[in-house]
Amino acid sequence: MSYGRPPNIEAFSGSPPLFGSFPLDHEGECKDFMKEYVKCLKQHKNNNGECRHLSRAYLQCRMDKGLMDKNDMNNLGFADLKDNNNKKQNENDNKDQKESS
Amino acid sequence: MASRFGLFQRVYNGTILTPTMTLRHVATRPVINTTSSRPLTTCMTSRTWLTLQHSKKTPFQQPPFQKVHYNTTTTKKKTSDKTDNVSAGMYAAAIFISMLGLSYAAVPLYRLFCASTGYSGTPVTDTNRFAKERLVPHNEQRRIRITFESNTSDALPWSFKPELREIYVVPGETALTFYKAKSKAKDDIVGIATYNVTPYRAGSYFNKIQCFCFEEQRLASGEDVDMPVFFFIDPDFLEDPYMKDVNTVTLSYTLFNAKYAKHLSPVQPPSA
Repeated sequence: MSYGRPPNIEAFSGSPPLFGSFPLDHEGECKDFMKEYVKCLKQHKNNNGECRHLSRAYLQCRMDKGLMDKNDMNNLGFADLKDNNNKKQNENDNKDQKESS
Repeated sequence: MASRFGLFQRVYNGTILTPTMTLRHVATRPVINTTSSRPLTTCMTSRTWLTLQHSKKTPFQQPPFQKVHYNTTTTKKKTSDKTDNVSAGMYAAAIFISMLGLSYAAVPLYRLFCASTGYSGTPVTDTNRFAKERLVPHNEQRRIRITFESNTSDALPWSFKPELREIYVVPGETALTFYKAKSKAKDDIVGIATYNVTPYRAGSYFNKIQCFCFEEQRLASGEDVDMPVFFFIDPDFLEDPYMKDVNTVTLSYTLFNAKYAKHLSPVQPPSA
């Protein structure tokens, strides 16, 4: 550590990734999802906002195949996606029904 | 003969001077005894001289109260001096010990301060940055262009290229990108990647949820694999005035051969 150095706004401070490292997909199990995602991005001029559902699908594939620790999609920043909201709405409706009955 | 010796030299007829005696003391030779048959050669201290001087001014009145006053002030001053010194010494010792303790406590306290604020380049390991409330895309803001670069070490016979050259994201929006690696070696090689973010001041806002850096990745001969990076730009990016002119952030990965990092052990693949 370089303590005592004058503070520099241009200093690069790295940070470790939250969940560590992705295990390598040696068998290419989620390669199709990856290809879909890349194709979507090429169509939308590399705008990430349009293709987020495909990146969620890729991560879901990874979780299913055991290449990633299972995690709620809301924690990974996909809480705002429309399909997720519908799912949540249905869950809440079911909860209300259960409570009322 | 008076056998009283003081701290000073014997006085013979007042001719020998001591440092505390002045000429005035010597010049006026007081009469000690009314009987003049007594010789004047006596041993005296300067204090006796002074008291005699005083007594000469008021010959019929020994100034007892003044003398007593003088004595009491001296004794009182002596004891208060002593307690003053003792208390001053206690204060000094207390300050010394507290400063010593403070210097020992400063080491973990400074480390805590640096870890929480990221001062002077300390890596910020606080996981509150990844709280799901912060992973909300601020769609009303401009999109930032993230470009991807790749480098390989000469000792690593892999071809390592980014699948996507650039991606446009908004702060708070999680994004996924891929790097393609193909091994051109004849046997299994373990590689390890490091990364860099340019401009440096934007580096602290580039948060990675999961990537493939800093851990060993083994590739069989001729195998090609996709390496994903899942990241987002911290929403605090919008509040930083230094980031106003930052429109492009470049993430650059460099792959090295892990053979030269002998103290690391290969990562075991997870059992599905």
